[in-house]
Amino acid sequence: MSAIIEMRGLSKAYGNRRESRLAVKDLTLSIKQGAVFGFIGPNGAGKTTTMRMLTTLLEPTSGEAWVAGCSVAKDPRGVRRAIGYMPDYFGVYDDMKVWEYLDFFAACYDVPAEERVGTTGDLLELVDLSHRRDDFVDSLSRGMKQRLCLARSLAHDPTVLILDEPASGLDPRARIEIRELLRELCSMGKTIFFSSHILSEVADICTHIGVIEDGRLVAAGNMEEMQRRLRPQRAVRMRLLGEAEARQAAKEALFHLEGVTDIQDPPDAPGEIVFDFGGDDANLSAVLTTLVTDHGLRIVSFSEESSGLEDVFLQVTQGIVS
Amino acid sequence: MGSTATGARPAKRPRLWKRLPGAFSRQLLDNPVVRKELRGRMRGRRAFVVLTAYLLFLSCFTSVLYYTYATSAEQPYGPDSYLIGKIVFGGVVGAQILLVIFITPAFTAGTISGERERQTYDLLRTTLLSASRLVTGKLASALSYVVLLIVAAVPLESMAFLLGGVALEEVVISQLILLVTAVALGAVSTYLSSRMRTTLTATVISYAFAFLSTAGLPLLFMIFLPILGFVSGGLYGVQEPHWLVVVTLIYIGGFLLAINPFSALIASELVLVEEQTVFFFSVAMPVSGSPYSQIWLVSPWLIYVPFFALVALLAYWLTVRRVRRRQR
Ligand SMILES: Nc1ncnc2c1ncn2[C@@H]1O[C@H](COP(=O)(O)OP(=O)(O)O)[C@@H](O)[C@H]1O
Ligand SMILES: [Mg+2]
Repeated sequence: MSAIIEMRGLSKAYGNRRESRLAVKDLTLSIKQGAVFGFIGPNGAGKTTTMRMLTTLLEPTSGEAWVAGCSVAKDPRGVRRAIGYMPDYFGVYDDMKVWEYLDFFAACYDVPAEERVGTTGDLLELVDLSHRRDDFVDSLSRGMKQRLCLARSLAHDPTVLILDEPASGLDPRARIEIRELLRELCSMGKTIFFSSHILSEVADICTHIGVIEDGRLVAAGNMEEMQRRLRPQRAVRMRLLGEAEARQAAKEALFHLEGVTDIQDPPDAPGEIVFDFGGDDANLSAVLTTLVTDHGLRIVSFSEESSGLEDVFLQVTQGIVS
Repeated sequence: MGSTATGARPAKRPRLWKRLPGAFSRQLLDNPVVRKELRGRMRGRRAFVVLTAYLLFLSCFTSVLYYTYATSAEQPYGPDSYLIGKIVFGGVVGAQILLVIFITPAFTAGTISGERERQTYDLLRTTLLSASRLVTGKLASALSYVVLLIVAAVPLESMAFLLGGVALEEVVISQLILLVTAVALGAVSTYLSSRMRTTLTATVISYAFAFLSTAGLPLLFMIFLPILGFVSGGLYGVQEPHWLVVVTLIYIGGFLLAINPFSALIASELVLVEEQTVFFFSVAMPVSGSPYSQIWLVSPWLIYVPFFALVALLAYWLTVRRVRRRQR
């Protein structure tokens, strides 16, 4: 698996020479073929700017980028052939029918006329809009428009999809539909590079994530790696039978065990103990064995607190967002 | 990364004249923008309402012209049909130019900025559609409607043929001037459309340009005329101006006369009638002291057409460059 999107030292400064500010700073990132890469960051972080540079719309101030082996600076046509771009707005013609809209963009992508009928039919099928084929684009709902725009970005069967906030402004149902579509596209072998400022919608479809904050890439990697790297301490919560003495004994025992730190009584749940653990699964299981067999503690539950992506995000961006 | 294939030699490009038909087809016939624009323009009632209103206006105007002349001309042998023919023809052409000036900016000033306002501009620019195809498609489809308006008025002009007095040359020259005016105004408005943020600003500036280049130039000419008169007035004064000054002034004045559609049409007609030519002619040198006895001049339409064709080409080229450029 090789990198299909490659950015090296990509920077963008807006404004004139006297007063400019960097929207993207020295971004180096590569995305593997077939990956679903979630580009996460709060509003104004520089996600759109990065994507506009990749789609040859915006001239980088410095740095280089390649998509599917084509240089963004030197071979914009090659890049355009390889990518399907969906910006964070719809971009529809109000006086056009759904099939005309797709046919028009397919023609703009040099899809031959005899193939276009089949292509638009397949695309409408894919995004589940076949029944609205002869309606005016204007009459579609937001969710439908978004699906139509996704279909448009697929008109020339690109290998890479660059989607800017594909789920923003949609109701939960439409959001799920988009997510299912992305999953389907991924299974078709397309590389998807998409941005979002809402983490929960990213978590279960991404293979990789990158977190951008104030123009700087603060973390990037595949999902498990990211969760591990960003959260070396796993929080464990346990509940045991007995009164305060039992809890005191448990804390004593935990205190002497290797890898255990930050033992606390959670204020929200009396009778429980929360501690951080810096080891792998085997070590954690050994801890449990020790507590039960060597110390005779009557443990009712013993579980790892799930460190959601939201936590990862907050942890990564803490202090930067002020 | 970024390495180019060195093995295969790039295929030799065929000669220009062999590429030309294909390029023409891609730019005009097989251009998705043309297809989309024409479909959009002809959809609904607007296109037909405009066409009908335009023809109604022209017919009324022509009828009024005809009856006014036919009834007021107090010639002993009745109205001269030869003259009526000329007047009706001139009236129709004049009205057509006015309408082209009014209609062309309205149809072209929103072409690029409209895409920007609908947020489809960047979408188009990420497709494989080249900047030149986008601009050509926009301009050609807008102008095709203007040309339709011009052509639709031909039957009215042919009335003048029935009355007599209109030669083929006059028809060809007037239609050529109309066409070039439409193309130049369209190209300039399209450029402004690519340049301005909103369609509104582009439209306002396009109209300003259209009126300045048609009504503004005669004003300039009127300011210029007294100077010419003053200088040539020297003929009767004590001092005769230098012949080079006179010749230069005549050429400048002639040029100003020639780059205005109305005066170019009238002057070309006068040249045709007086000098019996549609191309070159000469007049006697009005001052002495020159090694030449005559001044060579061309019929104004021969200046007008290339001049505005150049303006159109320049505007087109600038627009394509603008559309091709990445945002900085
Ligand atoms: N055309 C522009 N001119 C000037 N500043 C801009 C422009 N576009 C974006 N910015 C600035 O660049 C920063 C990054 O913007 P953007 O890339 O749109 O962020 P995101 O998509 O992550 O919300 C923001 O601070 C924004 O104000
Ligand atoms: Mg954005």
